[in-house]
Order: sequence, then C-alpha cells, then structure tokens
Amino acid sequence: MQDFFTQYWSDLSSLFSNSQQRLYWGYLLCASIIAAIYSLHKSTSNFKNSLSTALGFPHWFSKSARADYLLILINKAIYLIFNPLLLGKLTVATLIFEGMHQLLGQRNIETNIPSWAIISLFTLFIFIFDDFARFYTHKIMHELPILWEFHKTHHSATNLTPLTVLRTHPVEGLLFAIRSAIVQGVSIGFFVFLFDDKVDLYTVLNVNIILFIFNIAGSNLRHSHISIHYYLCIEKVIISPAQHHIHHSTATRHFNKNYGAVLAIWDWLFKTLHHSEPQTQIQYGISKYQKDSEQGLTTLYLSAFANSYKIIRVTLARWLQRFLTKQNQRCK
Amino acid sequence: MKFNKLMAAVAIATLSTTALTANAAANYADFPITVKDYAGDKTSSISYGGQIARHVLHTSLMSLSKTGNGEANPELLAKMQAYFSGKDTGRAIISPASKEGFGIAQTQVDELSKGKNLAGKTYQGAVAGWPGNKTAVEVLEFLIEKAASSDAGFDYINGMDYPQLISKFAMGAIFYNQAVDNYLDEKLAADVKPNNKPYKDGAAYTGKEHVWDEAFGYFGAPTNAASIDATDAYSIAKGKKEIFAKADLNGNGKIELDTEMLFAHAYYAAGADKSGKSNYLNSITQAFIDGRQIITDAKGEKLNDEQRKDLLEKANFIKTNWELVIAEAAFKYAGSVYSDALKLQAGIEANSDVKADFKNYIHHWGELKGFSMALQTGGKDLGGFAVKLNRLIGFSPVLLGNTQVTGIDDKGNYIQSSSLSLNEFALHMLKVQKALSDQYPLKARAKDQTAKLATMAEKLGSGNSTEND
Repeated sequence: MQDFFTQYWSDLSSLFSNSQQRLYWGYLLCASIIAAIYSLHKSTSNFKNSLSTALGFPHWFSKSARADYLLILINKAIYLIFNPLLLGKLTVATLIFEGMHQLLGQRNIETNIPSWAIISLFTLFIFIFDDFARFYTHKIMHELPILWEFHKTHHSATNLTPLTVLRTHPVEGLLFAIRSAIVQGVSIGFFVFLFDDKVDLYTVLNVNIILFIFNIAGSNLRHSHISIHYYLCIEKVIISPAQHHIHHSTATRHFNKNYGAVLAIWDWLFKTLHHSEPQTQIQYGISKYQKDSEQGLTTLYLSAFANSYKIIRVTLARWLQRFLTKQNQRCK
Repeated sequence: MKFNKLMAAVAIATLSTTALTANAAANYADFPITVKDYAGDKTSSISYGGQIARHVLHTSLMSLSKTGNGEANPELLAKMQAYFSGKDTGRAIISPASKEGFGIAQTQVDELSKGKNLAGKTYQGAVAGWPGNKTAVEVLEFLIEKAASSDAGFDYINGMDYPQLISKFAMGAIFYNQAVDNYLDEKLAADVKPNNKPYKDGAAYTGKEHVWDEAFGYFGAPTNAASIDATDAYSIAKGKKEIFAKADLNGNGKIELDTEMLFAHAYYAAGADKSGKSNYLNSITQAFIDGRQIITDAKGEKLNDEQRKDLLEKANFIKTNWELVIAEAAFKYAGSVYSDALKLQAGIEANSDVKADFKNYIHHWGELKGFSMALQTGGKDLGGFAVKLNRLIGFSPVLLGNTQVTGIDDKGNYIQSSSLSLNEFALHMLKVQKALSDQYPLKARAKDQTAKLATMAEKLGSGNSTEND
C-alpha cells in the first residue's frame, strides 16, 4: 500500500516536473509569458491589469476548474491500477518487429542511409503518426454516440485552464493509453526492423524536438481564456489556441470542428476545419443551458455509463425489431 | 514468479555475503588445517587438484577436436578418448600451453592430479536436446567420434562445430553438474562428508572442506577472483602476455594452473562481467570464500544449524548465479546466430561467397547449442522452458537448403528433413533470447537483438498519452 502511495505521489508530481508532460512547469511558464505579452498588446490598460488578465485567477477557482482538479487526482489512482494491465508499447513493438520478419521473409540491416537522416525520419514519422492518431481518435470520440458519452466529461468544462487537458473520463484515458501504445509500438517496431541500432529520436529535454517546440510555443493556451489566433493560412496547417476554443464552443455551428492536436491539416483533409473567430465571444461547455450541478463527480464519472447503457439498449432493441420484421416478411 | 524467487535468493545471499565479508579471507587460499589430530606435514587444507586436472583434460580435448582432417582417424579418436574416459598416466596438457611471454608451470595432467577422467564425472541423465535419447556420456562419446573424422572440427554438411559442442556441453554436464547437483547439493547434507572427520584417512581437510573446495575447483577461478577486474581475468584466460605480471600471483615466473588460471564458467563469468552490467566472477568467488570461511570457523567440528544455514545460503547464491552465467552465454550466442543467419541470407541473395559467413553461423550455433544443453544438466527440472529452448534451437542450425538435422539413424548418421527458412530460424533466435530473459534475471544481455526496441520505448516515455484535446 505504501508503494502505491509513493508511486501515486511520484506520478502526480511528475505532471509538473517531467518535461514529457504538457503541464511541465517550463511549458506553463512559456504559456504565461506569451499570454502576458498578448494581453499587453491587446489591452489598453496598464501592465498590472494586463498581467492579471493573462493569469486569469477567477478561472482557476471556478467550479469547472475545481472539477478538473478532482478528476486529475482520482484518475491518477485509477490509471495506476489499470494501466499495467493494458497493452504495452514494447509488446506492440515486438509483435510488429516479428510480424515484419515473417511478412517480408528477410531483414537486411546494413544500410548506407546516414544516421542523421534515419533519426530525422523517425522523429518526424512518430510526430505525424501520433498527431494523426490523436486527430482520428478524437473524431471518433465525437462521432460515435457511445464514445461521445465518455468524451463529454472533457467538454463539460465551462472554464478552460491548462489543467483541463487532463479532464478526462478514465475510460477515455485508458483508450488514449492504448492508442499511444499502438502508435509508439508500431513506429518503434517498424523502424528498428528496418534500421536497427541507427534508430533514435532528436530530443530536447527528453522530448521529441517537434513536440518540444509545440509546447514552448504556448500549447497550454489551447485550454485557457486567452484566445490567440493565427493568420488564416497558418490555421490551415497548425491549430491555433483560438481554433481549439471553437472546438469547445457551445454554438451549434462550431460542433464537431477542429479535432486536431497540433496539425490542422487533418481537419482540412476531413473537412472539419473551422478558422478562429476573433470577434466572437465564445461560451465553453456542452450546451448553453448546462447547469453548475453537472460539474459534480457523480455526473462526470457515472452519467457516461448510464447513457451508454441506454444507447446500447435502444440500439439492440432496434436491431431486434428489424430482425423480427424481416423474419415476418419472409414467413408471409 | 520464478524471477522473483531468483531475485530474492540473490538479494538474501548478497546481504549475507556483505555481512560476513568482514571476517572472510580475500583469496581462496591458505585456509588452515582444522582436522583434529592431523599428523601430516601440510599447512593448508585447500585441495582441488582433481578438478583442475579435469579442466585441462577438457581444454586439451577441445584442442584435439579441432585437428581432424576430414577422414576417419582412429589415432586421433583414441587420443581424444584417452582424455575423455582414459585414466592413464603420461597425458600431456595440450591446452593451455606455454607461449612467448606467458609461461605455464604444468605440462602434464598428472602434475595436477593422477588417474582422473571426464567420463566418470559426467551427468547421468538423458539429454533431451540431442537426438537419439542418449545419456550425457553417450552424447559426448558420439560428438568425439564425429569430431575425430571432421574437417578441423567442422561438419559443413550437417552444420556442426564439434569443438564448440563438446566444450560447451561438457562444461555443463561435468563441471556445472558436479558442482551444483552434487557438491553444493546432497554433499552439503549434515551427515554426508561431515566436518568433524577428515575427508579420508590421513587427509589434511575435513569432509565439508573438501566438498566445498571441489565445487570451487569446478568453477575454474583463480584464487584472487573475488577482486580481480573482469577484463584482466578475461585476458589471463586468453594467455595475453601483457597481463602476465598481474596473473603470476606467486611471482615465480610461470602461471600455476591450479591457482592462477581461469577455466570454464569462470571465464564466461568474466566475459559477461566485461560489459560492466554484471559481477558474476567476483560475487560467485566471494561466496565461495565466505562459505569456506564458515566451514573453517567450525574448527573441525560438525557444523551447527546456524552455520549450515549460512553455508546453504552461500551455496544457493553460487548455484543461482552459476546458472545465470550459462544463461547469459546462451543469450549472447542466440544473438550471434540471429545476426549470422540474416547475414548469410543476404549473402545468398546477393550471390556472394558465403563460406566464411556459414562457418561463423555454425560456430555460434554450436556454442548456443552447447550452452543450452548445459543449462539442462543442473539437476532441476526446467519443464516447458527446456522444451521450448530445444525446439527453437533444433538439432542443427537451418542449413542452406532450408533443411535441419532431425534425428540420427542406427548407424549414427544424421537424418535431415526440410525445415524453416533462414529468416524464420533467425526469428527463432529472437524467441530464444525472449525465453531466456523471461526465465532468468539476466544482466549482461550481450548481443541483445531486441534491446533497441526497449531503449526506444523507454526514450519515448508515456508523458502525453492521457492528454485530451
């Protein structure tokens, strides 16, 4: 039991001390600086007021943000129990590695391709593959009614703070962990099979250099009250914080838009891209009529199960009715 | 579960080793005589000359097995048999032999001990990893016979490197088996070879002292192996003249084979330890020294319960780690066979000359096969793990026509059948490494072919897996 608490505390504190986490203190600091500069630039008031606007204290103490904190604390314990039972990336990597052996029938690891090219290729490949997997999983979470019930926990946030990035139903969190294991395992297995010891990753502070740039460029502002938007041509390639705010909007015209994590090209290709609207005041949440009581833990954790059960029951009943109708028609 | 048990055994034994080190000798040497009423003129109770004699019988037999000319050679066969099962006097030590800058003190087996052979101390059980349902003695006799008519130890038609097969299997079936399944096992029982009596009438050592010495002798380490650097130890076994001054412990200008040379698994322990990831040679030798000190401290009396418990802990540590040394070697050669098989296949596809690659491939397979069979001679049932190992490694490597040895006919000829491709066999080698690392808490993991997968998995981390966008 003591080991559990030690690990729990270690996992929790690493959220802010581990540079592989979005909430790493360095990234939060970068986001704060960007927010302060942006606020100062936009505001007509003095520096103190601009800084206060940038930090947005009222948001951090809102009912929605307090629900974020509780979810993070509880979910950490749930992940600690269930994550070891999930498919691991090393298992996936080994399966891919062995599968390629069998499929290709040969392996020639002697290559003339220079190491820097292989490392660059791996760094880029895993970033793009991971970003696409995030986009597509996100899309499915919105479009499949059962999965939407679980993803609603994230979208029920009415105030966005950087910690909202971890406001997730545990079922969704476990699905994300499996997605990550598959993406990383496939990439590792594939590249190590082809290039063996030459495979490596360009990193800064132990993070993929591309993700590092994304993080220091204010990734945490995606979940914040600071709506920074980019030029339209850039918003076709990279999702701006303001575009992600559109994704969290309660306005019907904004529903099911901007699923992308870093790149906007996936949304552009799948026709779900929506540019930022600097003049629009956006309200966050699932609907305009969302009640404060929906920030309660019972709703956030259990309503997804109850609603999913209803969906399954209705779907099964519909299928059964169709089947019986067909049988009756055959008998006639 | 097995992993946990092994780790627990290693941890307990390491802790007790540390606790006892304060009183223990630095070298496995100069333990005093504790036999009551000893009347002889010896001053030390250490004695394991018979074991070192068997080490040089083994190394000499291995050297002889490389000298065939590809035709039936009764003279060579008889000579090899003399080193395996003979007990005659006058057998020269063929290896290790003196060379420039690295002189060896002994030149005759009898200088170490008289009337010794290998066959009489070979594992009695059947060997599942070799065709023909043979005992270990029968397997070694079969391999010796084949080696005598081989082409410098090689049979290119059936993919056999006899010196490797003989040597690596003999090390397990004789030295490892005798030590872990006899001297460190039943001979440590309270009433077997008790410590309050001389080993035999007039001996300068007690029953338990000699039993322990014999186990140490089979390990094959020099007396200072508890503190020797692994790279230095490896160089001594290779007979490198640069290391001679360090190796010549008594400063007599020659290497004494019984106290200053590495043999068998002590050499492979040093090989693993060179990586800096393991410490088998030092720690196993230290456990031998500590165990010997426990027996010496009993001062010629029967060991009491606490002393016996401490001694058994040392024995358990030695057995566990000795097994790991063999498993590390098997792991390494499975990795070598994997690379060799891929290289060979690439060479065949490129239509290049693959003779040297093929030779390397069967050489490494011979080492792997020998070590894997050796692992199964420790007197414990390895169950499904042993079955898996034997099936994956096969009775021969996959040969160039995608065939493999599957049996032996009644005239002793190999039977080949169609089998896997080289690529599939390479994949088997990955499975051998996986099976070994699942079974044992390996540390050195030389030539780990899937290490890069684990390294990259570690490097990528799992930081952003639960982020929600």
